[in-house]
Amino acid sequence: MNMARLAVFSPVDSTARVDVVVRRLADAIAVGLLADGEQLPSEAELAGRLGVSTVTLREALMALRQRGMVETRRGRGGGSFVRLPAGLDPLARLRAFAADELRDFGDHYAAVAGTAARLAAERSLPSDVAPLWRTLDEMDAVAAAPEAAGSAEACARLRRLDGRFHIEVAAASQSARLTQEEIRLQADIGPLLWLPHEGLSGHDETAAQHRAIAGAVERGDGEQARAVAERHVLDATRHLIELRLRLRE
Amino acid sequence: MSTPASLVQAGHDHAAAAVARVREAAEGVFEALREVRDAAVACVLPAGGTRRPVVADLAALRPLLWARLRGGALPAHLPAHLPALIAGIGFIAAPGLLADAPWYLEWWQENPSGDPVQLLRDMDPASSAFYDYTHWDWYAGPSSGAERTICGPYVDYLCTDEYSLTLSVPVLAGGSFAGVAAADVFVRRFEAAVLPALREIPGPAFLVNAEGRVVASNTASRVAGSVYRGGPRDGDHVVRRVGDLPLSLVTATAGGPE
Repeated sequence: MNMARLAVFSPVDSTARVDVVVRRLADAIAVGLLADGEQLPSEAELAGRLGVSTVTLREALMALRQRGMVETRRGRGGGSFVRLPAGLDPLARLRAFAADELRDFGDHYAAVAGTAARLAAERSLPSDVAPLWRTLDEMDAVAAAPEAAGSAEACARLRRLDGRFHIEVAAASQSARLTQEEIRLQADIGPLLWLPHEGLSGHDETAAQHRAIAGAVERGDGEQARAVAERHVLDATRHLIELRLRLRE
Repeated sequence: MSTPASLVQAGHDHAAAAVARVREAAEGVFEALREVRDAAVACVLPAGGTRRPVVADLAALRPLLWARLRGGALPAHLPAHLPALIAGIGFIAAPGLLADAPWYLEWWQENPSGDPVQLLRDMDPASSAFYDYTHWDWYAGPSSGAERTICGPYVDYLCTDEYSLTLSVPVLAGGSFAGVAAADVFVRRFEAAVLPALREIPGPAFLVNAEGRVVASNTASRVAGSVYRGGPRDGDHVVRRVGDLPLSLVTATAGGPE
């Protein structure tokens, strides 16, 4: 077989493949599956593990660098590192949204989170509920630790745990699509929506709402679960819109 | 109105056939897991157990894991009509087992467009909020002594974003627990494997896991993901255990509701 024919049947390295890698890594970074500051494996290893060529991987890393989600350092101790872009300056990111867009995000998110919580209440079993309480207890422990006050590390951990809680509620709905949508919405707006955690001032209020959601899911009270999950998102959205309206351009 | 005895008998036969079909499908996966378990024991006792195992020792599992993924050949003695179900398979190390990684999964997933891909995840609870995997039923079951665990159906947001079952068995090396051999099976594929047999049962029939979550069903009123809260003898249903697996077939009693 000549070389041209061999090329026809070689693995497809289309831009679609680049996009898949970008989305997988970007989602993982945005919701904290890959932690801020974490070093990624070497390009060769990462390409091998993702099953893509190094060319594809480099293109994907370039796209992530442009979004500020990956930082590459050269030389000794160099490599690619995860960056949580919104964590650097969330207010700059907030400025990019009009209040109307934030309201729309909130509407969409409330619909997803509300339905997911209702279904979770109708369908969950004890093994689905246990992780919710475990996550909430972990959040309380982080917020209560004396060294937590004002620490960026504690805030980042709380944000990750908050994301985990909402993904666990969505997964308890038994709907893969709602869970994927929850993860996508968190990637889009999660880091902003949970801004009240900056400084931990809003933790008590947020924690009370989380416990109300988990409690309604545990009792099997679908309507209550939906109502509190919606209110949780809409309260956070309203807080965010107020913050946005006070920001000068 | 009473149901003719011949029809009742036919219902029993079809239910027994469905139980056999479910058992066969699940046992095919457990058979692959026993192979992974045996291979993993050799990997985690390198040099006859004279040194601690490292991540690189687990690479020896790869040919077997790749072969057992969907599309791979089944062990020769299994029935040829068994559909290939496994979407992801691997060995999950007990925390602290490996000398060079406190948390590690040698986990491979099928890839429709080429060779299997290894799961890329930071599993260290210190840097990731997500994965102290010891809490998941597929790990907690085997680590607390269960011979065979079937976890789910559940939304697997760690790996595949699919509605999945995870089947797992413990790996014991030198008398102590070394980790778990596990495999992911998408619910939609498991359903495709058992639905032909469920469909033959004249009335409503559905398969539930040990907690009562419906895995597959021949009726829209008990679709996969819903919960069956009835007891083993709640009057309207007959519950048949699938061998000694944590699965049961539930059928409506003749003349009962539904």
